Amino acid sequence: MAIAPSRRSRITKQDPREPNLIPIMNLFIVVIPMLMTMMVAVHLSMLEITLSTGSGGGGQTEEKEAPPKEITLGLFTDKFELKVEGTKDVIQIPIDKKEYPQYNYVKLDESIAELKRENERQNAIKIVPDPKVKFDTLLRTIDICKDNGFPDIIYSPPVTKHYRVK
Amino acid sequence: MIRRTNVSVNRGRGGPFKRNPEKRKMKELNITSLIDILTILLVFMIKNVSMDATSRMIPQGMEMPTTITREKLVESGQAVVVKIYPNKILYGRENIMVGTLKEFVKDEEIRNTLVNYLKMEADQISKTVNSEGANNIPCLLIQADKTLDCKYISYFIRTSARVGFANIYFSTIHSENKEEVLNL
Repeated sequence: MAIAPSRRSRITKQDPREPNLIPIMNLFIVVIPMLMTMMVAVHLSMLEITLSTGSGGGGQTEEKEAPPKEITLGLFTDKFELKVEGTKDVIQIPIDKKEYPQYNYVKLDESIAELKRENERQNAIKIVPDPKVKFDTLLRTIDICKDNGFPDIIYSPPVTKHYRVK
Repeated sequence: MIRRTNVSVNRGRGGPFKRNPEKRKMKELNITSLIDILTILLVFMIKNVSMDATSRMIPQGMEMPTTITREKLVESGQAVVVKIYPNKILYGRENIMVGTLKEFVKDEEIRNTLVNYLKMEADQISKTVNSEGANNIPCLLIQADKTLDCKYISYFIRTSARVGFANIYFSTIHSENKEEVLNL
């Protein structure tokens, strides 16, 4: 059937319809600020510590290998002190006073790496912090120990006992 | 016969026909490119978003230490968060004010309050069961300011150990740069 000339021209000139994007825009305007507030800009991490326990007795009697030597790291306000069980030598790393007093973490890193090479079977290190040492120093030290192959950190703060004289 | 059109014309004083500017059809704004950008932004943000806000966000006004190593909570562990500022101690996700550090060390009542809170929370966590049927383990997550003296941290750890928290974690800012930790 033939189409009237006037109608035919109307059909051919019709443009394709554009999708209505306004609802999507509304959704985005709500969702994006919400996600921006929840976005993590700084990544936090966690470091685990173990609490010191009283020295346990007993154990297996048929042990062939000797237990690994206990390593103690003392944190003082003016130095680090590393001591290995059964040896008299104490590694002392005093604070660096060149520019302004600061702990020598580089030397500590090297010393701990060396201790790990000498005591490969030992995975634990006992940390004894002075009460006046800052939390930042403690955590940097724990981090250096863990990074050098001592994943088990035994936190052992010094205990002060007071006695009353009668 | 006069033919009607949509175009308004000005025939006031004769001369050429002029289009009336008021009746000109408005051009629609093309927002397709904007939608493209927003879609990319949306995908990027969904990828980076974290739902566990408490353990992932730095407490306001706290300077935290930086470390390179990172560990996860023990399997089936649930963290109880304690924030230690130089001037106050906040407990739990609701940031309940416990008191100042000096009060905490000197005042036994404040210490007992915190011990009770910790005990209650540890008991509640121990009673809950995870998806594999095992009991959850209470863990203590300490978020402390880096300028604090270790004596406060030690004191705090001793208090929480008395309650039975065997798994204790320190919260830090993660960095990939070891030189930052070594103070270089």
